[in-house]
Amino acid sequence: MIEEVIEKLAALLQGRIPARIDIEKFDNETEHELGKMLNQLIDFMQEIHEFIIPLSQGELHDIKIQSKNFLASPFKELHSRLLHLTWQATQVANGDYEQRVDFMGDFSKAFNSMIISLDHNEKLLKKKIDELEKALSHIIKLEGILPICCHCKRIRLEGADPENQDSWIQIESYISNRTTAQFSHGICPECIKKIYPELIG
Amino acid sequence: MFKEERNYNKFVWEDLGDIEKGRPNLGLTVPVLAYRLLQYTLRDVLIAELGVDKANDILIKAGRLAGAQFCENLLNRELGFNEFIAQLQRVLREQVIGILRIEKADMENMRFTLVVAEDLDCSGLPFTDEVVCQYDEGFIAGILEAYTGKPFSVKEIDCWASGERVCRFDAREVKVDK
Repeated sequence: MIEEVIEKLAALLQGRIPARIDIEKFDNETEHELGKMLNQLIDFMQEIHEFIIPLSQGELHDIKIQSKNFLASPFKELHSRLLHLTWQATQVANGDYEQRVDFMGDFSKAFNSMIISLDHNEKLLKKKIDELEKALSHIIKLEGILPICCHCKRIRLEGADPENQDSWIQIESYISNRTTAQFSHGICPECIKKIYPELIG
Repeated sequence: MFKEERNYNKFVWEDLGDIEKGRPNLGLTVPVLAYRLLQYTLRDVLIAELGVDKANDILIKAGRLAGAQFCENLLNRELGFNEFIAQLQRVLREQVIGILRIEKADMENMRFTLVVAEDLDCSGLPFTDEVVCQYDEGFIAGILEAYTGKPFSVKEIDCWASGERVCRFDAREVKVDK
């Protein structure tokens, strides 16, 4: 009996899960009880083994230790924390920056700093986008076909009566009123020749 | 005020009194052991006098009253669910009641798995293969009911006393047939 128990315990200590011991063959009550407890230990270790491997691979949702396996308590607590962190991370991914991780030592500090930083950066980004949108709203794009007088180059206001002279405005006014562009007034060499020939030497 | 005969509940937050005024030297908090002395001796007497089922029922009902008043007086019920949970987690920590962690939230079916670590009621109890946080079941149900305005059923599925090292609760809205 003792040899068999030693063999099973040695296997457990080496990280292996041995077969259960056949307790029916023990008539002695103490040996029977010892065998029963050893089998319970083997069952507990088997269950921990089957729980911890998927847990270490990040498979959190389909694992559970069914029995009241007190040896596995710290692993169950770890499992619970990882489930919670998964939920928290999902919340953050969905833009919920109110979440904080409590009492998980260095991990809490790192995770919470990350959330604060993400929140800060997103607010900064939103502020910049807002500023750019405001700036953009001051810039009016000119597009489409503009009706222009082929002689005086006045532009007809949109939807205005073409027969009415007031519907036609200077091109400078038209563009200045619709964009941030301003006009300075100079004169090109060809026009100088035509209009002010006396100024040409 | 506290002791008249009646067959309905009338507890309100103000019944707790002005603790700051009443305990200028000793302060607002007491050791956990004082809380547990009260709860576990009361539970002991309730079981002896009324049986386990009735004792559990009373603890759940008392917890529900406490949860509803706690929510109405210490929590902002106008917040969206995520913000509300973040707030609840913070307030439970500040009040040194426990560390709340959500494991799953199914908003469509209003079903949640939540965990309370270092729970006031049971953390550190000997392993007895039982779940013992009936007061917490009521407390959580009371909070969720006061927040959502809908009835909730909360069951403790794992407990420190059952070897989990945390208390895990399954909370779900009770659908009422119209």
